[in-house]
Amino acid sequence: MKKPVLILVILIIIMISLFGVRTVVSNRISTSGVALGVTEDEIKTYKTENALLREKIFGFASFTHVSSIAAEMGFVESKSALAISRSMPIARTQ
Amino acid sequence: MMRYRIVLGFFTFVFAVIVLRLFYWQVVKAEELSKLGQIQYGTSIKIEPVRGEIETSDGFPIVANKISYLLFVNPKEVKDKVNTAKFLAENLEIDRNFLENQISQDLFWVPVKSGIGPDLKKQIEAKNILGVGFEQQFERFYPEASMAANLLGFVGKDEAGNSKGYSGVEGYYDRLLRGKTGAAIQIHDALGRPILARANGDDSFGTDGKSLILNVDRSVQFLAEKKLKEGIEKYGARGGMVGIMDPKTGNVLAMATYPSFDPKKYQDYTDDLYKNAFISDLYEPGSTFKPLIMSAAFNEKLLTPQSRCPRCSGPVSVGGYELHTWNDKYYPNTTMLDVIEHSDNTGMIYAAQKLGLAKMVNYLDKYGIGKITGIDLEGETAPLIKPKNEWYAVDLATTGFGQGINVTPVELLTAFSSIANDGIMMEPHVVGKVLDENGKISTIKPKELGRPLSSATSKVMTEVLVNAVEKGEAKFAKIKGYRVAGKTGTASIPVAGHYDPNQTIASFIGFAPASDPKFVMIVIVDRPTSSIYGAETAAPIFFGIAQGLFTYYGISPE
Repeated sequence: MKKPVLILVILIIIMISLFGVRTVVSNRISTSGVALGVTEDEIKTYKTENALLREKIFGFASFTHVSSIAAEMGFVESKSALAISRSMPIARTQ
Repeated sequence: MMRYRIVLGFFTFVFAVIVLRLFYWQVVKAEELSKLGQIQYGTSIKIEPVRGEIETSDGFPIVANKISYLLFVNPKEVKDKVNTAKFLAENLEIDRNFLENQISQDLFWVPVKSGIGPDLKKQIEAKNILGVGFEQQFERFYPEASMAANLLGFVGKDEAGNSKGYSGVEGYYDRLLRGKTGAAIQIHDALGRPILARANGDDSFGTDGKSLILNVDRSVQFLAEKKLKEGIEKYGARGGMVGIMDPKTGNVLAMATYPSFDPKKYQDYTDDLYKNAFISDLYEPGSTFKPLIMSAAFNEKLLTPQSRCPRCSGPVSVGGYELHTWNDKYYPNTTMLDVIEHSDNTGMIYAAQKLGLAKMVNYLDKYGIGKITGIDLEGETAPLIKPKNEWYAVDLATTGFGQGINVTPVELLTAFSSIANDGIMMEPHVVGKVLDENGKISTIKPKELGRPLSSATSKVMTEVLVNAVEKGEAKFAKIKGYRVAGKTGTASIPVAGHYDPNQTIASFIGFAPASDPKFVMIVIVDRPTSSIYGAETAAPIFFGIAQGLFTYYGISPE
């Protein structure tokens, strides 16, 4: 008769322990959803901000914009090409 | 025992009936019931993928996506409908009556206006109007405005109202760029209010579109467009085109058309401005076609640059027609080298007749004339080349100097590039790499279309074309110190059965540096008015761009 009692006691202890663990874990993660939601909202906000900044950067970096600014600043196109040619040989065969 | 068996049999039968009925509902009718259930607790919603971007070879997104917002209202939540409609109508610049009608509907979600910018969104949000909300969307954004618009195409809507790419790169690569539309179930509460959405099966949220990296170089494109525009305005032309290609790979470095359109406001332009004339417009190439015919005669060893023309002392009669040179100047006993230099039509008639009809048709086929080049742009067309039995003697003669035959600019540029690439013709290609949503890059390898000319012929023809630039009609425009191989063209325009003497298509085709070509380029000027000749209009534009390219690529004088 002793063995069934021992098994029952062990089972009850396991049951109580698991119940306790579940309570602790549930308590821990119960607020994670809210935190996750906040984090997701933050990520979304940053993504939107990034997209808007990207748009501005592309606008400023475009040749269309850069050339108009350059023209306003007085830069003009060089009509002559500058090239470094090879040096003349010291002696030439006749 | 008997009673036991009867009870067992009865329960077995009942169990079997239940199993069969469950099989019927859960397997046979599963899909139908699932849809019925979905209707009761929610509705299917589409998840639009973000369209892929298009970058130039320097990694700059020439077509990007920008965030905009769709303003919607929930009429059931809007309390002051009249004032809300008034406020929104003023800020969104839409009709107030239309808005009042929208807000009065017995619905939970009514779209009002899309394409709203972030600033206006903030302004409206600041008012805290109950029942007014925003949904994030993406729309096309062009940082370089209308640069390469005809090459890129635009994004419009299809019959079902979905985004669709039309023309150019957007049209050709639409399936890659658009991605895969996802689907989800929007679940409602007992009152029909949306509460949450859940995925509808595997891969249900769809996939964003792939991005494309072009072979087009933004600097080269900018230079070509700038010089073309200046040239068109200077020479009083109707329009023009420039195409620049790497002859060794077929990579399209630039493709400019003027006038063009603004892809963001494509609705404001007529259809003829959307299309990419460089791949779809047929024209008679005139003298820019001569190098192809002369190369064919050299390749067949029927002529050499030193061969002399025995019938170039005056106009030539062929099939009842008298054919002249462009300036009515004649050079008796001229060499083939001089025929190209002087752009002598009578010399080209001699070369074409030497080649003969069978070989002429064979070479046109080898050059890809009459066939599409396979360029990866939507809208490419190809002219029809008559079958051999429909050619008259005069057709053979005029084809020799590029009249009476139609080509598209891309077709001519591709064929001509074989002279610059050791006789090998490459397929023109606009997109160089495809970037998928995971960042994996797939490279598109150059494709050989064929070898119309031998290596030796291409070298000989290159020297003939260098001579044409050095001593020909366009010698005043050449760049000192650089060896450029090229040919001018002044093609008459056929109008109602005859050629208009005052209107021409002026062009220049060439490549440089002649010894190791980095680019092959064609410039076409449509109906210039200050001068009708290619040498005085298209050639200066060509050399203006070439000079910029020499500096850009760091090419020193030879």
